[in-house]
Amino acid sequence: MDAGFHGKLDADQSESLISHLALDIGGTLIKLVYFSRNKDRPIDENKNSKNSVIDGRLHFAKFETSKINDCLEFILSNKLHLGGFRHHEDPASDNILIKATGGGAYRFADLIKEKLGVSIEKEEEMECLVAGANFLLKAVHQEAYTYMDGRKEFVHIDHNDLYPYLLVNIGSGVSMIKVDGDGKFERISGTSVGGGTFWGLGRLLTKCKSFDELLELSHQGNNRVIDMLVGDIYGGLDYSKIGLSSTTIASSFGKAISNTRELEEYKPEDIARSLLRMISNNIGQIAYLNALRFGLKRIFFGGFFIRSHAFTMDTISVAVNFWSKGEAKAMFLNHEGFLGALGAFMSYKKHGRDDSISPQLGQRYPVCKPLVGDKICYPLNGDLSDNDSLECSVYVA
Amino acid sequence: MAGLTEDPNPVLDIDGLLINQEHNNTEEENNNNNSNSQLKDKSAVLGKDREENSSKNQNQAERDMASIHRSGSRPQLDLSKAAIEGNFEEKDPTILLPNQSDDISHLALDIGGSLIKLVYFSRHEGQSIDDKRKKTLKERLGISNGIRRSYPILGGRLHFVKFETTKINECLDFIRSKQLHRGGMDSRHWNAEAPANENAVIKATGGGAFKFADLFKERLGVSLDKEDEMDCLVAGANFLLKAIRHEAFTHMEGRKEFVQIDHNDLFPYLLVNIGSGVSMIKVDGDGKFQRVSGTNVGGGTYWGLGRLLTKCKSFDELLELSQRGDNSTIDMLVGDIYGGMDYSKIGLSASTIASSFGKAISDNKELEDYSPEDISLSLLRMISYNIGQIAYLNALRFGLKRIFFGGFFIRGHAYTMDTISFAVHFWSKGDAQAMFLRHEGFLGALGAFMSYEKHGLDDLMVHQLVERFPMGAPYTGGKIHGPPLGDLNEKISWMEKFVLKGTEITAPVPMAPPPGTTGLGGFEVPSSKGGTLRSDASALNVGVLHLVPTLEVFPLLADPKTHMFLLAFQGVMHISDGLYSVTCYVIAPFSVDDISYEPNTIDLADHNELEYWFTVLSGHLPDLVDKAVASEGGTDDAKRRGDAFARAFSAHLSRLIQDPAAYGKLGLANLLELREECLREFQFHDAYRSIKQRENEASLAVLADLFAELDSMSEETRLLSLIEGVLAANIFDWGSRACVDLYHKGTIIEIYRMSRNKMQRPWRVDDFDLFKERMLGSGDKKPQPHKRALLFVDNSGADIVLGMLPLARELLRRGTEVVLVANSLPALNDITAMEVPDIVAAAAKHCDILRRAAEAGSLLVDAMINPSDSSKENSTSVPLMVVENGCGSPCIDLRQVSSELAAAAKDADLMERMHVTITRAFDDDVQIILEGMGRALHTNFNARFKCDVLKLAMVKNQRLAEKLIKGNIYDSVCRYEPAS
Repeated sequence: MDAGFHGKLDADQSESLISHLALDIGGTLIKLVYFSRNKDRPIDENKNSKNSVIDGRLHFAKFETSKINDCLEFILSNKLHLGGFRHHEDPASDNILIKATGGGAYRFADLIKEKLGVSIEKEEEMECLVAGANFLLKAVHQEAYTYMDGRKEFVHIDHNDLYPYLLVNIGSGVSMIKVDGDGKFERISGTSVGGGTFWGLGRLLTKCKSFDELLELSHQGNNRVIDMLVGDIYGGLDYSKIGLSSTTIASSFGKAISNTRELEEYKPEDIARSLLRMISNNIGQIAYLNALRFGLKRIFFGGFFIRSHAFTMDTISVAVNFWSKGEAKAMFLNHEGFLGALGAFMSYKKHGRDDSISPQLGQRYPVCKPLVGDKICYPLNGDLSDNDSLECSVYVA
Repeated sequence: MAGLTEDPNPVLDIDGLLINQEHNNTEEENNNNNSNSQLKDKSAVLGKDREENSSKNQNQAERDMASIHRSGSRPQLDLSKAAIEGNFEEKDPTILLPNQSDDISHLALDIGGSLIKLVYFSRHEGQSIDDKRKKTLKERLGISNGIRRSYPILGGRLHFVKFETTKINECLDFIRSKQLHRGGMDSRHWNAEAPANENAVIKATGGGAFKFADLFKERLGVSLDKEDEMDCLVAGANFLLKAIRHEAFTHMEGRKEFVQIDHNDLFPYLLVNIGSGVSMIKVDGDGKFQRVSGTNVGGGTYWGLGRLLTKCKSFDELLELSQRGDNSTIDMLVGDIYGGMDYSKIGLSASTIASSFGKAISDNKELEDYSPEDISLSLLRMISYNIGQIAYLNALRFGLKRIFFGGFFIRGHAYTMDTISFAVHFWSKGDAQAMFLRHEGFLGALGAFMSYEKHGLDDLMVHQLVERFPMGAPYTGGKIHGPPLGDLNEKISWMEKFVLKGTEITAPVPMAPPPGTTGLGGFEVPSSKGGTLRSDASALNVGVLHLVPTLEVFPLLADPKTHMFLLAFQGVMHISDGLYSVTCYVIAPFSVDDISYEPNTIDLADHNELEYWFTVLSGHLPDLVDKAVASEGGTDDAKRRGDAFARAFSAHLSRLIQDPAAYGKLGLANLLELREECLREFQFHDAYRSIKQRENEASLAVLADLFAELDSMSEETRLLSLIEGVLAANIFDWGSRACVDLYHKGTIIEIYRMSRNKMQRPWRVDDFDLFKERMLGSGDKKPQPHKRALLFVDNSGADIVLGMLPLARELLRRGTEVVLVANSLPALNDITAMEVPDIVAAAAKHCDILRRAAEAGSLLVDAMINPSDSSKENSTSVPLMVVENGCGSPCIDLRQVSSELAAAAKDADLMERMHVTITRAFDDDVQIILEGMGRALHTNFNARFKCDVLKLAMVKNQRLAEKLIKGNIYDSVCRYEPAS
């Protein structure tokens, strides 16, 4: 079986389509990053050179972790699993290794071996997140942006003044990482109130069938129906002495304590909205407090919770702005969900010298503009095949 | 035993004397300014009273006791005390109407989004029991009437009550029924008959103060004076932290530990008030604070989301559900993501919650498929942990080491506190500590209360507050159960409902800790024992705060600020065939290094100890109820009250066995006091009255013989006999059965002599020779007699009459002033300060020394001595005085004694070269003589009391004997500790 795959790999290489798959298997979602060459270009522009540049695309895909079989099917059908590498210390082995990170890299290692016949090379999650973020912030033009009052503004990041920053990765849970440089970071905090909480509580409360549906609902909701606002307590007045306006949420879900209304009598939209605000606001606040603690001016929010969802970003931005009194700014990343997968992908370079088929992302050759950049500002719909891709060049050793 | 309790006719001469005297006192007060007429009035009244039949005397005694001791303890809902007081002139005192127009001076409200919190203060007008004896005593002790109240246990009570905001009408009814709204700013309107003042103003805080202002105006005709919420929170917290001894505590892994806060090192701190939402306030001093943060994920979120997810009907129900939950079914743990492994690189264990409710994303389970218990726990952990984390981050930001958590979310709920503590501990790596407040929910209301001007509470000292736990506390915890008082026509009906309610609630008292409640999930699993939460444990552990302005720290204790407290008091209890006998015991002083005075040497935190004493107390209960009921004439009413008392006290006990720290740090003394308080709440003012009377009478009858016998001895022999006598008087009732037999077989003097003869020296601890040297000197050297001796008398009967009085007499004979210090209120068979003068008077009939000293001390002015007998030259005698100690418990906490006692001790303190002897006979078993020197004492060397100390003890409990003196039951202790 291994031999068969090996043979097939050669064939695929000649087709020049796919190489290098990396996975980030989280609690809720599986994120895939893989590279494909551009067909219309020669494989090697300069065969004499030991180093060559391959143009191609970085593809991003995601699946729900609970539907891992769909994901494996997708990998098989696209032969993505062949885009691994062979262990350099054991080149004779037929065993192909795929880079993966996230908890699922441990949990599903056996399943993947059985279904795909490839082994998982586990990459540390935080390292991957940081590597992915650093790559994006340095290599991708118009990656980071602020989002306030519905306005998205790209932020130019000076590569020489990138560090330190706070990276807040909102997956199922939330990790907060202080990043001081390439590979230099520390997980300083986190919270269990994250994307999984939103989706989990939201499912229980609204019967939504998907995360995206829940997000969509929150668009149309009005949280005042269910949140207790300062105005509700103060009879419509502000509590101005301590700077709380009457519309400030005093207590999330605080109105739901009323005996007169049951769950069924609240609109799912309102519940989704209230939940989203509660969680976004909370994350924004904790992130700010941690940034403050370490004197970090920039906070980048990533992870699949955000999904470029306008209201989510707005809430986080407002929270950071409110608590920092305008001093700190929340920033978001276009590829927010793929930090870990990208980081895992980047980790192939560690093996580059010994493996002729392993590419390096050419960081010295800035990646082209995002192909689908404009689309990103809209909520992604649930269609997993509608995946983002980046045109990029790969530097092959 | 039976013989002791069933005597239906306990009306003795002594009783009559007492009544007559007290009655006179009241009359006298009215004629205070007319001292010339006093004697005449007195004899007239006495004459009249004596004509009344004895059965009436008992009723009168009841009333007198009630009026004298009315401030001792009243039910939180004040059902009946006032009835007795107010009905003094009525014919039938058994019809007990609740006094609904309580004399309330201040009401303050905190109307939050979920709950309304009330704090109100009930004050009593200065009591009119101030007789000439007291006045003379005061003059002698240098107490100025202008500053101090006339009677030590006085002041008022601070009550804490809560209602759900949605049930604001119940709250309004409650206020109306108790007429609380009439006592707002202006105390002139206490009177229930006064029309509600149009301009009456009540202090209020919380958002509802705005929202419901119109409703209050409309329903009660009062305006709400809005106080800033944060101001109130801070004022309330500062007050609690300064004024209440056991207010703040830590709670880690199910263990509650009270924290002693140094008032000088209180600020700055972070105050986290968890109400519907959460406010975080940095407090730098009184009135100096800043709201630095907060979160909208608070108690309202827990309850709101919890209601939607579980259909629970109340917050408390939701909290209780969480006790049995397992959050790992619904939270996504690190182990779930990492296939059961830890994510050790960043220090996350497999059981760490990675994502709250993260497992609920699974498609194959719907809301109905999750157990409400699991949901509640998951929610509780999410919110508690989040609050703890944000609080810590804010504390860190401002460099605050202490974080106090308050607000109604916590509700004393163990797991909530554990989770918050864990979060703070986890994120601070142990640097910061979460602390909680017992009155957590009442910060705002208390603060609003403090905002009244001139309530006189501003500079309250910790020793002036005594916390009592009313009968309803274990059931209601400050919540009003049962009918609002407005519906009450009769106390009895309420009582019956209370008993019913109590039965309902106590039925499933201890819930077995569910296995695996906290087994999984969580940041290192705060393994709380919260599983033992009772149905009502989420109620408040809040009693009624009794403000007793005249309480002081016993001055002969070393300066509290120097942390050189000297003595440990030990409270123990000895049960001999169910006969009363509680022992309080003073043991050796701590060394100077020990920093805090602790009245209890038996710390009931030791669970074995706790169980032992609880068993003892429970076992003693039926007999006590019998006695109490008998003391009230065995009427149906008394039986009902007795039943209710038994239930209430049992409920207290089971509450405490569940959570020993529920009412603050628990020592045996607290437990014993609780029982006395509980008795008083059910209007058993003196359950041992008949026993006391009989024993006094019997003892007095043989006193003359004893005096004669003593007078025939040499000085040295006499001193030994006196000490033996003190011990013997303790021994007297060690076995109640033997005691009863002896009653039948011999005279009391025979029994006394017999037990005295049993005193075999050396005693287990025997410093008698040292004491003798101090008293009598050695060789030619005659020591100077003590200037004043304080004798803490204890039991009625043989103990005081045959033990302490002869000792007092000897001291008087030697030219030492004697102050007999007795309980202010009855406790078991302790003699009270009100009763002592009559005993002295009776004794004085047989003894000239006592008579002249008593006259010099104005003890006999209004007693039954023929005035013509007292001659003018008697004033040359040193005085014999009586002061009350300010407590109504078998034990005494020297941090809180009456101003009289403090003055008596201070006075000696001021006189250099003078000596003080303090004697305290603690109940049946132990006597302590603490002898001291005044100012010359240098307390920096092995500081103790600032006086010579003699401790006489008869240990009547085997357990105690082994523990304290490595001896046996009935061993005697005579420890003498001279002032250094």
